[in-house]
Parts: sequence; C-alpha cells; structure tokens
Amino acid sequence: MNFIAAVQALVDAGVDFVIIGGWSVILHGGDRATFDLDVCFSRNAANLPRLAKALAPFHPRLRDLPADLPFVWDEATLRNGTIFTLSTDLGAIDLLAELPGVGDYPEVKAHSIAVEAFGREVRTLDAPTLIRSKRATGRPKDLMDAMTLESLMDSIELP
Amino acid sequence: MTPEQLAVAEERLRHPAPGSRIAAAKEFGIDLTLLLHQLRLTPAQRVIWMHDFSAAMEQVRGAARPDRA
Repeated sequence: MNFIAAVQALVDAGVDFVIIGGWSVILHGGDRATFDLDVCFSRNAANLPRLAKALAPFHPRLRDLPADLPFVWDEATLRNGTIFTLSTDLGAIDLLAELPGVGDYPEVKAHSIAVEAFGREVRTLDAPTLIRSKRATGRPKDLMDAMTLESLMDSIELP
Repeated sequence: MTPEQLAVAEERLRHPAPGSRIAAAKEFGIDLTLLLHQLRLTPAQRVIWMHDFSAAMEQVRGAARPDRA
C-alpha cells in the first residue's frame, strides 16, 4: 500500500477530489487503521480525464471483477458510474461521486477543509460533516468513528 | 492547535465530563488515550504514522497462519 503516492498522483494531475472515509478520520486525529483510500470526486467533464489519467499508471481494476474479465479504465468508464471500488498497484481505492448522508460532490466539497498532508495540500471533509456521513451508514464501525470524532471535537476549543 | 488548546483537550479526554459525548465514547469502548496520542500530531504526521503502520502490518500480516509458519 502506498496511499501517499496515490494522493500525490491525484493532486499532481489536478484532480478535483475530497478525501473521505477512514483517512479523513485519521486526518482529524482518529486512531483507527484503514486499508483503503476513499475519495469523493467531481463528475465535471474536465475532471474525469484527469482522474482516469492520474490512476492509469497504477493499473486500476474493479475489486469484485473476476480476474479473467476485461476491464477498461478510462474517462468513459468513469462517466458511466458513480461508485468504483478499485484495486490498484498502490492499494485499494474507492471512488465515490456522491456521499450518503451528505450529497453530491459540490455539497461534499462545500463541507471540506484544506489540510497539509501527504506532502501536498489536500481537501478532506470537515469534522461535523464526516460525523454526519459516518452516522448515515448505520454500521457499527462507522458509529465508533462518529463517536471518536465527536470526542475529538468536544475536546478541542473550536471557534 | 496551540499548547493551551492541547492541554484543554488532553484534560477533557483524560477526565470526561459525566454525560458528555466524550464520556459516551469511553463507555462505548473507544480508547481515549489513543486519541491523545493522535491529537499531538499534525495531520501530515498522522499520515506518515498510518503509512508506516500499514507497511509494518503488511510485513507481518498472516505470519501466524499455519501455512506461513
């Protein structure tokens, strides 16, 4: 796994994206481990070729696709879907065009903050919105994330 | 985060106020001491920490399986 390289590739290609999920929890100070990179991406026509080009060198394939079935990674594939659960040479990367509990990409981006991490400036969900997205899934591990984030928020004197 | 803010945060995590969301998290089983550790790091340091953790985990993952012994 090399998620630092994955994020840097996305940033350097000019991809419009927001880090969500476990890495966002980690960026906010959560102590949990994560083994994939969850990204919410813009479906803007200019963004899709950038996204396709950024990940192409790392041979993305759908994780649930049998190995003997062909898969084409390009702009057209991205245009035809909103959720891609990928395995890549850098690790598992999940791409979502919208986030349950939050909304589509413009809504996600509107509730994101800029953070210096991964050797770049990246955007990630703000803590209240991340909590909202975690509570929306109803999964026990996401509930734990939500409570962790609430503890972190409540421990810090926020303006 | 300023040192003063960190001190306040650490105190709240070490001694959660009864009825608070922090207390509820502790009751739920969340290890607040691990949050203290992460709070002291910058976001960039958290990424490096997780990256190093992932690399170490990949090296040892499954080492105790009978077919790997």
